[in-house]
Amino acid sequence: MKKTNYWKILITGLLKENPVFVLILGTCPTLAMSNSVTSAVGMGLAATAVLICSNAVISLFRKFIPDAVRIPCYIVVIAGFVTLVEMFIHAYLPELYKSLGVYLALITVNCIILGRAEMFAGKNTVGKSILDGIGMGLGFTLAIFFMAVVREVIGAGTFAGIEIPFMIDHKIEFFVKAPGGLMVYGLLIAAVNVITKGKAIKKKEFNCAGCPSAGVCNGGCQANAVKEGE
Amino acid sequence: MDTFKGLVAILLTAVLVNNYVLRQFLGICPFLGVSKKLNQAVGMGVAVTFVMLLATAVTWPIQIFVLNNLGLEYMQTIVFILVIAALVQFVEIFLKKFIPALHKSLGVYLPLITTNCAVLGVTINNITDGFNFLESMVSSLGCGLGFMLAMVLFSGVRSRIDESDIPEHFKGLPATLIAASFVSLAFYGFEGVVDNLFA
Amino acid sequence: MKYIKSVIALTVICALVAVLLALTNSITKPLIEQNASAEANAALLIVHPDGGDFTQVDLSTYELPATVTEAYTASNGGYVIKLLTSGYGADMVLMCGIDANGVVTGATCLSSTETLGYEKTYGDSLTGKTVEDIDAVETISGATKTTAGYKNAVKDALNATIILGGGSVDIRSEAEILNDNLNEALPAGEGKFVSWFMVEALENVTAVYEAENGTGYVLVSGEEFIAIDKSGAVLTAVADDVKAVMEANAQLILNSSIEEIDITGYSDMPTHIKKAYKTASGNYVFDVEAKGFGINGDHYYNPSGKPIELKASATSDGKIIAVLTVAQYETDGIGSACADASFYTQFNDKTEADYGDIEAISGATITTNGYKTAVSKVFEAVKILEGVA
Repeated sequence: MKKTNYWKILITGLLKENPVFVLILGTCPTLAMSNSVTSAVGMGLAATAVLICSNAVISLFRKFIPDAVRIPCYIVVIAGFVTLVEMFIHAYLPELYKSLGVYLALITVNCIILGRAEMFAGKNTVGKSILDGIGMGLGFTLAIFFMAVVREVIGAGTFAGIEIPFMIDHKIEFFVKAPGGLMVYGLLIAAVNVITKGKAIKKKEFNCAGCPSAGVCNGGCQANAVKEGE
Repeated sequence: MDTFKGLVAILLTAVLVNNYVLRQFLGICPFLGVSKKLNQAVGMGVAVTFVMLLATAVTWPIQIFVLNNLGLEYMQTIVFILVIAALVQFVEIFLKKFIPALHKSLGVYLPLITTNCAVLGVTINNITDGFNFLESMVSSLGCGLGFMLAMVLFSGVRSRIDESDIPEHFKGLPATLIAASFVSLAFYGFEGVVDNLFA
Repeated sequence: MKYIKSVIALTVICALVAVLLALTNSITKPLIEQNASAEANAALLIVHPDGGDFTQVDLSTYELPATVTEAYTASNGGYVIKLLTSGYGADMVLMCGIDANGVVTGATCLSSTETLGYEKTYGDSLTGKTVEDIDAVETISGATKTTAGYKNAVKDALNATIILGGGSVDIRSEAEILNDNLNEALPAGEGKFVSWFMVEALENVTAVYEAENGTGYVLVSGEEFIAIDKSGAVLTAVADDVKAVMEANAQLILNSSIEEIDITGYSDMPTHIKKAYKTASGNYVFDVEAKGFGINGDHYYNPSGKPIELKASATSDGKIIAVLTVAQYETDGIGSACADASFYTQFNDKTEADYGDIEAISGATITTNGYKTAVSKVFEAVKILEGVA
C-alpha cells in the first residue's frame, strides 16, 4: 500500500503533472535550451540534480526554517546547489558548460524548483520529497528532450549532432531559432489538449497556482490585475 | 565620442537585437502572464527596468570589488539572487511608506520580479560580457526597455487574439505562444541593424 | 524573538551553503583552470601546429612594437604573437605563429569589422615568410589598407620574436627615425622640425628641415644630417671641403626670399600654373595644380572634386630644384602615395631631357601621370618667364 503511494508520487511528476506541458512551469529554460538535444538533456539533468538535492535539504530542514524567511532560505539552498552543479559541469563537461551558458545559473530562478520547494518539499518527508524531485526532474527532462527532438530534427536536420539523411538537406532553420521554440511549444500544448480532450491543462492562463512567488504576493498581483483591467 | 557610440550600440543591441524576452526567453513567464492589458504591461515593464538598473548598480561593484578580490567568484549566483531579493523587498517597503501612489501601481509587480530570470540574467551577463560600470548600466537599461517594448507590443496582439475565433484546443496558452512566436519572428528583422549602423 | 530566529536560520543556511561551495570549489577549480589552459593552448596551435605547449611571456620588461599585445613561447622554441592593428575601418586582432628560425608558421585574424573579408585569408600568403622577405608579399589591390596593416603587424611580430630572443631590432617607424636623426644633429631644435621647401639649388643636399623654434636648419646630404645655426655656421663635424659647401648652402637658405610675379599678363602660361614667385637668387617657385583620378572621364578631378596641389621650384635655366605635394584628395592607400616623399623627391634635379626617368606609382597610373604632366609645365613656365620661349 505504502509502496504504490511512492510510485504514484514519482509517476505524477513524469506525466500527470508534467511540469512543462501540464503545470506550465520552467518556460524559460524549456524554450531556450530545446534547440539542441544535447543541451536539452544537459539542462534537464542539471535541473533534476538541483531539484532532488534542494528538495531533500529543504524537506530535511523544513521544521527548522521559520515561515517568515522560508523563501529566502529556499533560494539560498537552490542557488547553492545550482552553483555546485555549475562547478562540476564546468570542470568535467566544459563543452556542455559552454552551450548552457547563463541558463545554467538561471536554474536558480527556474519556477519548477522553487515551486516544488514551496508546494511539496516544505510540507513532506525527505523520502517523498526526493521522489517528487526525481519525478518532476525527469518529467522536465522528458518534456524538454521531446521538444528538442522536434526542433533539432526539423530545424537542423540532426539528432544530438548526428546528421539524419534526407532531413539534413531539408532543414527549416526557423525551428531552431527563438520563434520556432515558441511555435513548437504552443503546438505541443495544443496537442496535449487534443489528446486529453482539454482536461489535463487546468491552467488555461498563467495564474497563482503555478507561481512560485504566490507565497509572497498572496494573489495580490492577480487581484490587482483584474481590478485594473476593469 | 567613441564611448558614446559604443554605449548607443549596447543600448540598441539590448532593446532590438538581443531582446531578452523574444530572443533569449528571459522573463518569458511575466511576459505571457502579465501582458493582457496595456497598463499592466507598462507597469511591469517599468518595475522590471527599475529593478534591473538598481540590481546592476549594486551587483556590479560587489562582483568587481568584493567577490573577485576575495577569490569568491563562485558565490556569484547566491550573492546576486540574495541581493536582488533584498532589493525588491526594500524597494517595496520604501515605496509603500513614502510613495504610496507609486506603490499602488508598481508594488504588485515587485514580488514577481525576485524570481524573474531576466533580472538575474542581466546582472550575470553584464559580468560575463566584461562591461564596465557605465556599459553595464546602459545594457541593463536596454534590457529593461526591451522587456517593456515586448510587453507593450504583445499586449496589443493579445487584445486581438481575445476577439478572434480560434479552434477550441488552441484557446488560451497555445494561441498566446504562437502569437508570441510571430512577434519574435518580427524582431529577427533587426538582425544586423546595429552592426551596420555603427560599422 | 521570532525575528532573531529568522535571522539565525538564514545565516546558518548561508554559512552551510558557503562552506559546501568552498569545498567543491577547491576540488573543481584546478580542473577548470586546466581545461581553460588546454583550450587556450589549442587556440594557439591553429597558427603554430608543431608548437606543443605554450607559456605566456611577461612583456613588461621588453620594448616591443606597439601592435604586439601578447606573446607565448612554444616548447619547440617558436612563438605565438597576438597583435592589435588597424585596418580600413576599425581594429583587427591578429594571431601569428613564428618558429624558432623566424619563419611564419601561420597567421589568422581573430576579430575584425573589415568590410571585404580579405583579412580572413590574407594570413595564408604570409605563411613561410621571414623578416627579410615579408615586405615583398603583395597587398591586395582594393583592400590595401587592410592587407598592408596585416602585413606590417606580422612584420612587427617577427621583429618582436627577435627582441624576445635577445636580439635587437629598430622598431621605430620611418618618421620616428627621421625625427631622431634630426634631433641628434640639432638638439636645440627640441625634436620639432618642419620640412623647409628648397627654393634654392643647394649643392649635395636632398632635403632641408627647419627647427620650429627657429634655432637653425638641418640639411640632409646623402646619409648625413648636417646642422647649421641661425648665423649660417655649420655645427656638425664634417670634412673641410664639405663644410665649405654647406656654409655656402647655409647662406643661400638664410638669404632666400621670394616675391610673387603677376602671371596674368602671360596669355600662353599653362593653366596648371596657379601662382609664380621669384627668389632673390633668380630661381622660380610655382604653385601648381595637377589632375588626379577623376570620375567624369576627364580624369581631372578625383571624386571630392579637388585637384592635387603641389609646389615646385626651378632654376632660371630650367632645372627642377624640388617638388612638394601640398594637398591631395586621392584614393586612400592608392593615389595618396603621391604625398610620399619617395615619390615627389624623384623630381629633384630633373631637367626636360631626363624627365622621362620618373617612375610611376604602381596601381596609381592616372594620378602619377597627372602629377608628371603638371610638373612638366614648370619647364614651359620658366621659359615663358625668362622670355626664351
